[in-house]
Amino acid sequence: MLYKVLDKGVYRDFVKALISEYEFIGPKKKDKSEHDFVLIKDISELDTNYMRTTIPPAKKILFPPNEQLVAYELGENINVRSVVESSKKILFGINAWDINGMNFLDEFFTTDFIDENYISKRKKLIVIGMDSEPTETNFSPSIGAEYAKDGFDIYLTELKNRYFVRIATPKGNEILEKYTKVNDAIAEDFKEYNKYMDNYRMKFKMSVDIKSFYDDFESIYDNGDFWKKIAKDCYSCGSCNLVCPTCFCFNVKDDIELNLKNGKKIREWDSCMIPEYGLVAGGHNFRPDKENRLKKRYRCKLKTFIDKFGKYACVGCGRCIEACLAKINIAEDINLVKKEVSI
Amino acid sequence: MGFEEKVKKNKNTIYVPDIARITRIEYLSPTEKVFKIVFDDEEIKNKFEFKPGQFVELTVFGLGEAPFSIVSNPTNKDFFKLCIRNVGNISSALHRMVEGTKIGIRGPFGNGYFPCQKMKNHNVLLIAGGLGIAPLMSLIRYILHYREDYKEIMVVYGAVNPGSILFKNEIQYWSNRGDISLCLSVDNPDNKWTGEIGVCTKLIPRVDFPSNDTYITVCGPPIMYRYVIDELEKKKFKPENIYLSLERRMECGVGKCNHCHIGDKLVCVDGPVFNLWEIRNLKEAL
Ligand code: SF4
Ligand code: SF4
Ligand code: FES
Repeated sequence: MLYKVLDKGVYRDFVKALISEYEFIGPKKKDKSEHDFVLIKDISELDTNYMRTTIPPAKKILFPPNEQLVAYELGENINVRSVVESSKKILFGINAWDINGMNFLDEFFTTDFIDENYISKRKKLIVIGMDSEPTETNFSPSIGAEYAKDGFDIYLTELKNRYFVRIATPKGNEILEKYTKVNDAIAEDFKEYNKYMDNYRMKFKMSVDIKSFYDDFESIYDNGDFWKKIAKDCYSCGSCNLVCPTCFCFNVKDDIELNLKNGKKIREWDSCMIPEYGLVAGGHNFRPDKENRLKKRYRCKLKTFIDKFGKYACVGCGRCIEACLAKINIAEDINLVKKEVSI
Repeated sequence: MGFEEKVKKNKNTIYVPDIARITRIEYLSPTEKVFKIVFDDEEIKNKFEFKPGQFVELTVFGLGEAPFSIVSNPTNKDFFKLCIRNVGNISSALHRMVEGTKIGIRGPFGNGYFPCQKMKNHNVLLIAGGLGIAPLMSLIRYILHYREDYKEIMVVYGAVNPGSILFKNEIQYWSNRGDISLCLSVDNPDNKWTGEIGVCTKLIPRVDFPSNDTYITVCGPPIMYRYVIDELEKKKFKPENIYLSLERRMECGVGKCNHCHIGDKLVCVDGPVFNLWEIRNLKEAL
């Protein structure tokens, strides 16, 4: 990691240069409450002062809601080929927890089997991070995701009259050298950065007691009443999955054109909270109850990947809490598990 | 050559099927047919290897993909066979197909399979319920191919009625061989039935294989497992020597779509065959 500072006076020109040189994806105000990460053509469209995003930014680019995987042509012979679309892009203004969410997906899509469709896009993505305001439901500090230590090329932290710049990759360094001027960070800069981070961490209102969840979860796993109570109001709508930066479930479908000649395989996001999730041909459903599905979601988010990668598959962004009409709250439920097991 | 190696070599992605033909369709019962499948590409055909218990993802072009376990003997190198029950979209399309039709195949998948090497020099008890005989066929055929490497072999197979017993010809052949014992049982006998009546779990107490020298494989509908395990435990068989093949919804076969998870594992990459020790550590497996 290299530590530099970037003068605020040259920031706009730096960003402008990137916008003109690259396919530049950044936050743009959509309405009162939401921003959308879209292609930015002019700096006036860019608004890094955001709190909520429609679809998590990295996921929107790397693992879109639907994506073609395979193309084929039917006939005497069948021709099949993979479809991998990727192009060089800058993702600008993504915050720390969403970078951490992306880091999770990076690891996930390259474990056991390499998913070219994901990773070829990822390899071409230049990531420039920036802090954003947490919502009231954000509990990322409890997960350790309010700060990104890797996954980005450059991370800009706004101090009084300059940006504190963390450079994690040679690529990031190249870009800074080419398009602007940075100076080495000195003790003074680190001091101000430290103070900034302390203040920033104070902005997070929600916290969870997750330290002993790994074992507590098993101890309460078979307590049907507890889970029934927690999932009581769930509509099985799947919104919590759709907004999550780390949810990765998908279905694979074939689709054929009317000429019955050209076909494709596509993948579409699926949701582990909807009843059809566990349904197999023949009609047996392996997870018919909503409380089991919720419990499964929590297992996947908070336990499974501790075993696999040593990390949570939840970055504590709080999006699923805001999205849930039934007011199901993963943060409260983590704390409830702790409480229930302790008494 | 494993699936991953093949993907790398052909610079493909893990979602691209290889083209194959259905070269023969055998009628087994009103609801089951066996499909013999041969890859178009010589090299792919020659290098396709699988272990008993593994499965493939089969694409019906234009319709979609579904997982099926392989039933043929792994020592057959030119082709493989799938036994398919007519229950879903894909399988009913397959049941309407004629010989010569082209399909897509990905696989074989599954790092958990029946450990036919470890089983050597031991007794093997194979327990199947209904369509569960299909994944076990590959193992039975392998064992019979190398019969002298194994000790006693017993197949316990339960079906709903005599008409739904699959692989009848082969079972007939087994009973003629004399080196494999066979217990058939049906829930609803007809008046010609002379075998056992009732669920196949009833037959387990009669098995006299020593618990420390026996491998057991179980495959059947989800409901059957608990009862079978109870009976096996009464006989003190070791959990790490009891292998069960599990079914879940599968969309990708390669550990990405997450549909097949049980507890903290995935059926497609960690299974589909697990031993009972592993299963005890997987909540909701049974
Ligand atoms: S927890 Fe909430 S958002 Fe998720 S499926 Fe249930 S009702 Fe929908
Ligand atoms: S589970 Fe909820 S809080 Fe955790 S990362 Fe997903 S949306 Fe954010
Ligand atoms: S079938 Fe997709 S993860 Fe197992």
